[in-house]
Amino acid sequence: MAVCCRLLMLLTLLTLLCVQPGAAQKKKENMLVEKVEQMMDWSSRRSVIRMNGDKFRRFVKAPPRNYSVIVMFTALQPQRQCSVCRQANEEYQVLANSWRYSSAFSNKLFFTVVDYDEGADVFQQLNMNSAPTFMHFPAKGKPKRADTFDLQRIGFASEQLAKWIADRTDVQIRVFRPPNYSGTIALALLVSLVGGLLYLRRNNLEFIYNKTGWAMAALCVVFAMTSGQMWNHIRGPPYAHKNPQNGQVSYIHGSSQAQFVAESHIILLLNAAITMGMVLLNEAATSKGDVGKRRIICLVGLGLVVFFFSFLLSIFRSKYHGYPYSFLIK
Amino acid sequence: MHTAHVFKEGVLDIFFSGTPAGWQSLLSFTILFLAWLAGFSSRLFAVIRFESIIHEFDPWFNYRSTHHLSTNGFYEFLNWFDERAWYPLGRIVGGTVYPGLMVTAGLIHYLLNLLNVTVHIRDVCVFLAPIFSGLTAISTFLLTRELWNQGAGLLAACFIAIVPGYISRSVAGSFDNEGIAIFALQFTYYLWVKSVKTGSVFWTIGCCLSYFYMVSAWGGYVFIINLIPLHVFVLLLMQRYSRRLYIAYSTFYIVGLVLSMQIPFVGFQPIRTSEHMAAAGVFALLQAYAFLQYLKDRLTKQEFQTLFFLGVSLAAGVVFLTVIYLTYTGETPNLPDSVCFRYAKIHIPIIASVSEHQPTTWVSFFFDLHILVCTFPAGLWFCIKNINDERVFVALYAISAVYFAGVMVRLMLTLTPVVCMLSAIAFSSVFEHYLGDDMKRENPPAEDSKEGLGPNIKSIVTMLMLMLLMMFAVHCTWVTSNAYSSPSVVLASYNHDGSRNILDDFREAYYWLRQNTDEHARVMSWWDYGYQIAGMANRTTLVDNNTWNNSHIALVGKAMSSNESAAYEIMKSLDVDYVLIIFGGVIGYSGDDINKFLWMVRIAEGEHPKDIRESDYFTPQGEFRVDKAGSPTLLNCLMYKMSYYRFGEMQVTLDFRTPPGFDRTRNAEIGNKDIRLKHLEEAFTSEHWLVRIYRVKKQENRQALDHKLRNVAAKQKYTSKKVCIA
Repeated sequence: MAVCCRLLMLLTLLTLLCVQPGAAQKKKENMLVEKVEQMMDWSSRRSVIRMNGDKFRRFVKAPPRNYSVIVMFTALQPQRQCSVCRQANEEYQVLANSWRYSSAFSNKLFFTVVDYDEGADVFQQLNMNSAPTFMHFPAKGKPKRADTFDLQRIGFASEQLAKWIADRTDVQIRVFRPPNYSGTIALALLVSLVGGLLYLRRNNLEFIYNKTGWAMAALCVVFAMTSGQMWNHIRGPPYAHKNPQNGQVSYIHGSSQAQFVAESHIILLLNAAITMGMVLLNEAATSKGDVGKRRIICLVGLGLVVFFFSFLLSIFRSKYHGYPYSFLIK
Repeated sequence: MHTAHVFKEGVLDIFFSGTPAGWQSLLSFTILFLAWLAGFSSRLFAVIRFESIIHEFDPWFNYRSTHHLSTNGFYEFLNWFDERAWYPLGRIVGGTVYPGLMVTAGLIHYLLNLLNVTVHIRDVCVFLAPIFSGLTAISTFLLTRELWNQGAGLLAACFIAIVPGYISRSVAGSFDNEGIAIFALQFTYYLWVKSVKTGSVFWTIGCCLSYFYMVSAWGGYVFIINLIPLHVFVLLLMQRYSRRLYIAYSTFYIVGLVLSMQIPFVGFQPIRTSEHMAAAGVFALLQAYAFLQYLKDRLTKQEFQTLFFLGVSLAAGVVFLTVIYLTYTGETPNLPDSVCFRYAKIHIPIIASVSEHQPTTWVSFFFDLHILVCTFPAGLWFCIKNINDERVFVALYAISAVYFAGVMVRLMLTLTPVVCMLSAIAFSSVFEHYLGDDMKRENPPAEDSKEGLGPNIKSIVTMLMLMLLMMFAVHCTWVTSNAYSSPSVVLASYNHDGSRNILDDFREAYYWLRQNTDEHARVMSWWDYGYQIAGMANRTTLVDNNTWNNSHIALVGKAMSSNESAAYEIMKSLDVDYVLIIFGGVIGYSGDDINKFLWMVRIAEGEHPKDIRESDYFTPQGEFRVDKAGSPTLLNCLMYKMSYYRFGEMQVTLDFRTPPGFDRTRNAEIGNKDIRLKHLEEAFTSEHWLVRIYRVKKQENRQALDHKLRNVAAKQKYTSKKVCIA
């Protein structure tokens, strides 16, 4: 009897042992299905899922997963004053929307965001001290070094992010940017404004034949280009440089390969002054006015040309090291 | 010499009023001759310092093609298939170059030899650009004379002869398309202005021929074929239509189109690509405008208005339907590439890696144009205030050229001529008023004493203006001597006492290749040195400066940035016999291959993203370092190994505080000193280690086994088994 009992117990134990893994498996699967459903539900509402600390641990870190998660750690609250975060967020939204509305959309990849003010514990847990950071949490295993997006080097354009995601997860996302109508609208506004002005002044179209106006416009283009505004537009340099040690602000860049925005404005003014000097010199000699007045105009023109040119030369000299010549001003 | 030169221009204006025409033309001739001489001689710095040698990279290709032309004849050149470039693909040279430069040099060489003046073709090539600078000065003189007056013309000629913005592309030895193209550009514009002024077919045909020469010489002809239609269009808008304009443009468009299509490289582009569509559109518009003018004379006002309304709505409808059709068939014409290149730059590393494609800072403008950049807006102002047909042209020329120069540094070249012309106008109008009256005239105008500014002010103004011009001449000479006269094939270093050391490593290495390797040996190098290897060493190259095949370049980049065994597979598949690299660590030369290395990685990554990753070549902190802290991928890649092979045991500087293997370019002690090469062996290293050449070992007969040989005794078991079965 005792033997029988023991045998029974052993049997039950055995069955229990056999059943237990099966039940756990099932439970796990249920949990996974539940999790995936939950994630799908969220992502159907918003293409980027907002997470706090608990959600992050449950859906991103906890093991039963068969989906990859891209997480943007950021600080979007206005009091954090993180302008990069906002730009990165825009790019991230573009990418997430491209994925959400693409035909390849599946439950294999989710886009989430953790804000510092909602999940500071996550930041601490991951030893993260800079925002924004993009990380990929793969379906299996722990994130490796390459699963952190190299923001410093590649930047955060959504095309680059998509390339990185394709590299890490084999999911190809074609970035679709919502067409930017602001340029078209601005152009249309400008055209209608000009058209409206012309219509209002249709009885007096003399100003179109005004040579001074056209000459001014042409000179504006010329000054903008020769002072390097196109360089500013393409490279986007800072306005001026403030030395963090002593708080001195320098408006002129020390190297001849680069320039500040303020510097290019100074050069624009100098060029304009020299040109005005030349025009005044000519004006003084050709106009038919009082001789004294003309003499003053002539001297002012000459002064403008000589003084501002030597000033320009001295700025150039300070930037182009080893340039030997100067004029009036060292 | 320049000082005297500028002074002469000033003196000229004194003689302007009241002297016989003979004096004027004699002075003009003298000044133009002096301008030519000054321009020619200030371009000779490199020849005097070094020797009569072709510079840089592209000129070596041009020289090689010219040499081919002069030895094999014109037709052989047109059909030339160069199997020594882009191995194993080859390159069709005849159909992919602008032949104007080679034909010009070849023709001069032919003529000189016909006259029994025996000159080597190399000397013709070296001195072609300086000679053409004189022709550019003359055509600038002619154009400015048409726009303003003779005095301004002479000033403009003197400016363009010595201005650095043009010298940068036309020093002796810089045998490149731009050297002759600027002459063709200015001369075409002169003939165009002349034909608009006269309305004669004679001048227009001249303009077309000059345009044909320009098309054969340089891809920048697109600038002409857009600027001239723009001029016509703006003249129409300003209601300055005339028969002269109609004759000039209609003739120019048709004859110019037919002529430009005769160049094999251009082919059918003028009727296909969007850059040329503006010209066609303006041609149609001009015909319509002329037709309407004709109808206006024939019909009553009422009829004309109805017809006009109908015509306009019909045209609008046609344009609308075309746009819709094109949108739906997906054949929207792409925007002009020249404007959109900066969008391409983000995506294609090879475009971004060329420093000429960068936007321009104000320093570059000032460096290349000095006083002219500040004064030419004044000339533009005078031109617009006293507008006429041809001044509309120069204003449009100035605005479009200044825009393009702002976008891309190398287009400074097209801005320079118009800046010289407009500056000359500004200076000449000042000199006219302040210099002319100082002269004792036979009968001074009555009001002069009453209205004059007085001789003191006038002489002060004149003196200061002359001083500015003198500074310009000095600046030009300094810039030419210091910035634009280095051949870059031969390097020079200066000692403390100012004496010059010549580093001739490049030619030494190329000559070694020429003498010591098989005639058909294939040399792998980064694309920068392709033309030089072909030109100087006469060996087959894999990639060169004509970067037409990105994937081929990426393959070379991949070989350079992989580890040795992976690189060996690539080199085997490409039949590479020698690898040539540039290494500046010994003398501190910053333009070497390690500094260019990231571009190789980027270009390789663009084509092979699975094998090459840029981030692998950085430290975890995101730095690019060659010392011990550098990334292991970098420290074991082929380029690193070849650059620093045997470098670890070398004491670079005389100062023994620095360790051996100290890289002077990157100021670091190298991280991997124990470099062993398995598939390569060092073949040649030049005197200052600037050029290093490695031989790729041939495969051994049988792959050597890395693991231990199998035990033979164990094998016997199986043989006996086999016997059993049998």
